[in-house]
Amino acid sequence: MSLDYIIKIAGPMLEGARTTILLFLIVIVLSIPLGFVVTLMAKSTMKPLAWIAHSYIYVMRGTPLLLQLLFFCFGLPQIPVIGEYLVMDRFTAASLGFILNYGAYFAEIFRGGLLSIDKGQFEASKVLGLSKWQTLRKVILAQMFRVALPAVANESISLVKDTALLYAVAVPELLNYAKTAVNRDFTVTPFVVAGVIYLLMTLVLTLFFKTLEKRFKFE
Amino acid sequence: MSSMIEVKELQKSFGKLEVLKKVTFTVDPGETVAVIGPSGSGKSTMLRSLVHLEEVNGGSIIIQGQALVDNGSYAGHAQIKGITSKMGMVFQHFNLFPHLTVRGNLELAPRTLKRESSSEITARSKDLLSKVGLADKADVYPSMLSGGQKQRVAIARALMLSPDILLFDEPTSALDPELTGEVLRVIRQLAEEKMTMIIVTHEMNFARDVADRIIFMDKGEIAESGTPEQIFGSPRLARTRSFLKL
Ligand SMILES: Nc1ncnc2c1ncn2[C@@H]1O[C@H](COP(=O)(O)OP(=O)(O)OP(=O)(O)O)[C@@H](O)[C@H]1O
Ligand SMILES: [Mg+2]
Repeated sequence: MSLDYIIKIAGPMLEGARTTILLFLIVIVLSIPLGFVVTLMAKSTMKPLAWIAHSYIYVMRGTPLLLQLLFFCFGLPQIPVIGEYLVMDRFTAASLGFILNYGAYFAEIFRGGLLSIDKGQFEASKVLGLSKWQTLRKVILAQMFRVALPAVANESISLVKDTALLYAVAVPELLNYAKTAVNRDFTVTPFVVAGVIYLLMTLVLTLFFKTLEKRFKFE
Repeated sequence: MSSMIEVKELQKSFGKLEVLKKVTFTVDPGETVAVIGPSGSGKSTMLRSLVHLEEVNGGSIIIQGQALVDNGSYAGHAQIKGITSKMGMVFQHFNLFPHLTVRGNLELAPRTLKRESSSEITARSKDLLSKVGLADKADVYPSMLSGGQKQRVAIARALMLSPDILLFDEPTSALDPELTGEVLRVIRQLAEEKMTMIIVTHEMNFARDVADRIIFMDKGEIAESGTPEQIFGSPRLARTRSFLKL
């Protein structure tokens, strides 16, 4: 495990880590709002809307993420008639799969947060003349987010590790580079380096969420 | 002078359980009415109906001459909002917003509803916090306050919208006995300023002292009502006597 060797492979591996980080950011930024919208749909008094939301959550949580990724990357184009319009580059297709999958998990997390809010908060808001929408924005959202924060942190760390599933749909990323180097150079070092890079990413996230939790303590 | 609140034959059921059975009463401007009665007699339900936290099944609620519900049929959404905006409510469990400072709690509704300038809102929240004796707590979060302080913040928050009527549902029941005094003092001051109030309470001494009129509710009905002297001095009914342990 010479230092020279580590330096030599670090370049391409960090290149791979860029794809990993890019995917992570795209998925986080889009799946959290998606999850929130789905939570609201699930809570909606309009029955079809709630039904769609629940079915979506059920399907996304009830099937393997790997199956979903394979479906979006290789399955969609096989659908008769419309398939030819559904050909995306594999990174885009995989991102879509991740967003829809994580959106469902975030929806469940937010739903739990919403349930934990005392009904007195809604009543006080109503008596103070706030509309439902104003209550949601000004009273409920911050409290819901605070309750959900630890679970959101957990999910985010899972996502960092799940990005490795890109390997299975042959999008070159961190793990892919490591495997190539292992095969080429007959050494285990690239796997160790990859592990360290994952650990660094989750460390940054952990610290980030710790600060966020402090800010949302309301003391 | 016309009534501030007029309630006629109010009826409310939860499923098969009849909680309000033709409740009728009026409240005059500036009057302080205390509502007493055993647990489950419908006091909270009656109070919550006035601000549309519960929908009744029959009867009328007329606030300052405007019908919130007339013979069981409710006014439109906008009218309901207009009518209930004249009323503030203070809850047993305070229901402060935990994610906002004391000042934030007071100013959230006025700032959201945007009916007046920001400087007016700031000035009034300052005044009201002094009034309830919490000027030094403006930037503190509710989690750092005692129960008595929380309830005083809740009263100030309700006053921010300059209500014509204030409703209290057991404002001191969640407090340690030594903290009830500071809250009752604030309510007493409002009574002296002739705020129209309905106070559901278990504090009999306070009711006797502060209220102009006592309503005794039992099993979903107003069993007896009158001046504190009548109710506490010479109640008509045996069940009033037994409730008051006279
Ligand atoms: N949302 C509800 N659903 C079903 N039953 C209810 C509901 N709210 C109140 N009740 C019932 O209605 C009756 C009257 O309740 P209410 O809270 O008005 O009584 P109360 O006089 O305020 O009692 P307390 O002194 O205990 O606060 C009780 O039997 C209660 O169990
Ligand atoms: Mg009650």
